[in-house]
Amino acid sequence: MSLARRYQGRRKLPWIIKYRPKRVDEVLNQDEAKRILGAWFAAWARGKPPSKRAALLYGPPGVGKTSLIEAYANEHGFEVIELNASDYRTAQAIRRVVGTAAMKRPLFGKGVIILLDEIDGIAPREDAGGLHELLRIIPQTRNPIVMTANDPWKDQLRPLREHCILVQFKPLTKTLIMRLLSRICEAERLYCEREALSLIADLSQGDVRAAINDLQAIAEGYGKVTYELARAVLRGREKSVDIWRTLNMVFYAKASWMAKKAVTQSEEDYETLIAWINDNIPKKYGEPGDLFRAYDALSRATVFLSRAKYGGSWSLLSYVFDLIGPGVAFARREGQVLKGRYAFPERIRLMASLKEVRQIRERIAERIAPRLGVSKRAFKAEVLPYLFIIFRNSPVVAARLTLGYGLTREEVKFLAQARANEILELAEKIRRARPKEVKAEAEAVVEAEEKPRTRRRGRRRKKEEGEKGKTLDMFFG
Amino acid sequence: MSSALELLWVEKYRPKTLDEIINQEEVVRRLKMFVKSKNMPHLLFAGPAGTGKTTAAHALAHDLYGEDYRLYVLELNASDERGISVIREKVKEFARSRTPPEIPFKIIILDEADNMTSDAQQALRRLMELYSAQTRFILIANYPSKIIDPIQSRCAFFRFQPLKKEDVVGRLKYIAENEGVEYTEEALETIYEISAGDMRKAINILQAAAALGKVTVEAVYRVVGMAKPKEVRQMINAALKGDFDEARTLMRRLMIEYGLSGEDLVKQIHREIFSKEVNMPEEARVLVADYLGEIHFRLVEGSDDDIQLTAFIAWLSMLGRKLGVT
Repeated sequence: MSLARRYQGRRKLPWIIKYRPKRVDEVLNQDEAKRILGAWFAAWARGKPPSKRAALLYGPPGVGKTSLIEAYANEHGFEVIELNASDYRTAQAIRRVVGTAAMKRPLFGKGVIILLDEIDGIAPREDAGGLHELLRIIPQTRNPIVMTANDPWKDQLRPLREHCILVQFKPLTKTLIMRLLSRICEAERLYCEREALSLIADLSQGDVRAAINDLQAIAEGYGKVTYELARAVLRGREKSVDIWRTLNMVFYAKASWMAKKAVTQSEEDYETLIAWINDNIPKKYGEPGDLFRAYDALSRATVFLSRAKYGGSWSLLSYVFDLIGPGVAFARREGQVLKGRYAFPERIRLMASLKEVRQIRERIAERIAPRLGVSKRAFKAEVLPYLFIIFRNSPVVAARLTLGYGLTREEVKFLAQARANEILELAEKIRRARPKEVKAEAEAVVEAEEKPRTRRRGRRRKKEEGEKGKTLDMFFG
Repeated sequence: MSSALELLWVEKYRPKTLDEIINQEEVVRRLKMFVKSKNMPHLLFAGPAGTGKTTAAHALAHDLYGEDYRLYVLELNASDERGISVIREKVKEFARSRTPPEIPFKIIILDEADNMTSDAQQALRRLMELYSAQTRFILIANYPSKIIDPIQSRCAFFRFQPLKKEDVVGRLKYIAENEGVEYTEEALETIYEISAGDMRKAINILQAAAALGKVTVEAVYRVVGMAKPKEVRQMINAALKGDFDEARTLMRRLMIEYGLSGEDLVKQIHREIFSKEVNMPEEARVLVADYLGEIHFRLVEGSDDDIQLTAFIAWLSMLGRKLGVT
């Protein structure tokens, strides 16, 4: 029983069902998806199942994924076996419902389409059995299996992606949504202000379902749709979008307002957004010119950010959003958007380890630079490079320097990278083989320094090393 | 090289007294007169890196106050201290501390004074006047012209000359023999040529080369090559060839493995731009320097390292494509 029939007779039929497209060409936009799916279904209709027997339709919510399948089924006389998201989690349920439907022989030439919604809602561990079962069924199915997802790039969906044709659905443009809304207004004989429709379309962020629901909410409450009413009703409707959706809206934006909206309404703070965009530009743009324009925009955004932070005004933040949204979106002029999956920003990890190595470097400089009579800056620029050479090429000398300056394990690791363990073992061997000499020389080194300093050093060591400090103090008297 | 411990030779062989400073005769002669009279004005030491300015300041203090000289010396570094207010606090506290027995003043050594802005230098000038009863400043600068006139006129000026070849080679030979290092005469001369009179650099090269084995001309060049991470050049070349991902990986590795800041890396890149081993048309090099300068400025302003350098790499790959670099 179709949804429309189920609601028939009742007065308040949801408009998203009432105005659901009945034919493929009524589905707004998505020409690419229509073309790919059309060819795929045609293969099934000819009785020759395509090599990939499942299709994964992906894209933001409310852009027509399910509608297109239903419209196709309606037009070509397929029966749709639709499974609610919560129905098909376990292996058993999948086997029972999908397995049975997959093996069903078409009756009187009427084919079956198996539609699984929100496949990305499958939990990686708990529902692993269900996913596994699905993977077993797909290669054998006699009927097309169609799945939808908002985020098809999740890790747990990787094996599934290999068995599916991937069909992308794009967010709808504001113009298209407005046109649809005003058609509904006409059909419902509603008084509608253009500005009101514009606001509804803006807030929907390319989600037709959300736009139609909003229109209906206003119309049924007040009998007309004015800008004032729309604003009052939809206040707080400015929903934030998840990071994946934000990225999609930036990289696939058709208009600047969409890209700007994507970044200003994201729940993530701008630092996180910048990190994600930074590491995903190369996944989406391939042409050198596009890459450069995108990074140029991003780098100018960080310039505004630093100006806002250090002494400027926080109102400069607005330009940051201009640049990371529309600036990145419209950097692409030469190439296509690449199909690569979004990556978790390496940068967040990078920043953490960068902070760590810079601290280690700073500590080494603080300790050694004064003994050489140079600034920390000069030490890093003029002396450190030679320490790197010694530590990365000559473990024996490095081990002796390690003892001479009392370098810590992590400092040696920083200086020597791969050869650190070798050096640390050698240093330990020297310490053990010639303990007296090491001790005596350590004294000599300390003595060679001026007394006030030694005293200070002694005290500091005592604090840092506890028991060890005591033994050293004996020499400092 | 029989000892179990080792220090950096720049520390181990640093002169401690004025007598041990074997060059800069004119400077040393004048400084010794201050020691004799137990008095001195503010001093300004100027000259290229590695000519012994800081060493001379320490040696002077040593000769004035004796072994415990560090008690009466405050050492500040303009490029390490955070602003003039920090310097002011430290000077204030130091001026109040105990005075040496025989000499009526304490010494403040301010290294890299030419790295201070002229506003900070104005504040410094007031500090010098305020505490001139108890303290003497020794200002150290690579470029004396960057020191404002009112300060210059209050200081006795000392110019440190780049070291002469025989001084450097002689010192290197002394160190090498003392350390039991095998070397060739030519290698030491090569070190002098490369270090251009900078003793610190010369000794560092010697120690690194010795760590690799016999100090030969080849070893010296190897060390000099290694002192600049090869990844910098690889990164530039990869970017120019359009291999954006590779260039970016190298950039991040440089930051992680060498602990380089964005500015450090910009400086390293700048050194490579005019190198023959970076393959690009001559006229393009200035373009690169120009854009790099913009990136450098943004970093100085406080902009993000990783993003600015990524933008630079993206720009280079675009340039590489335009120029047809392969």
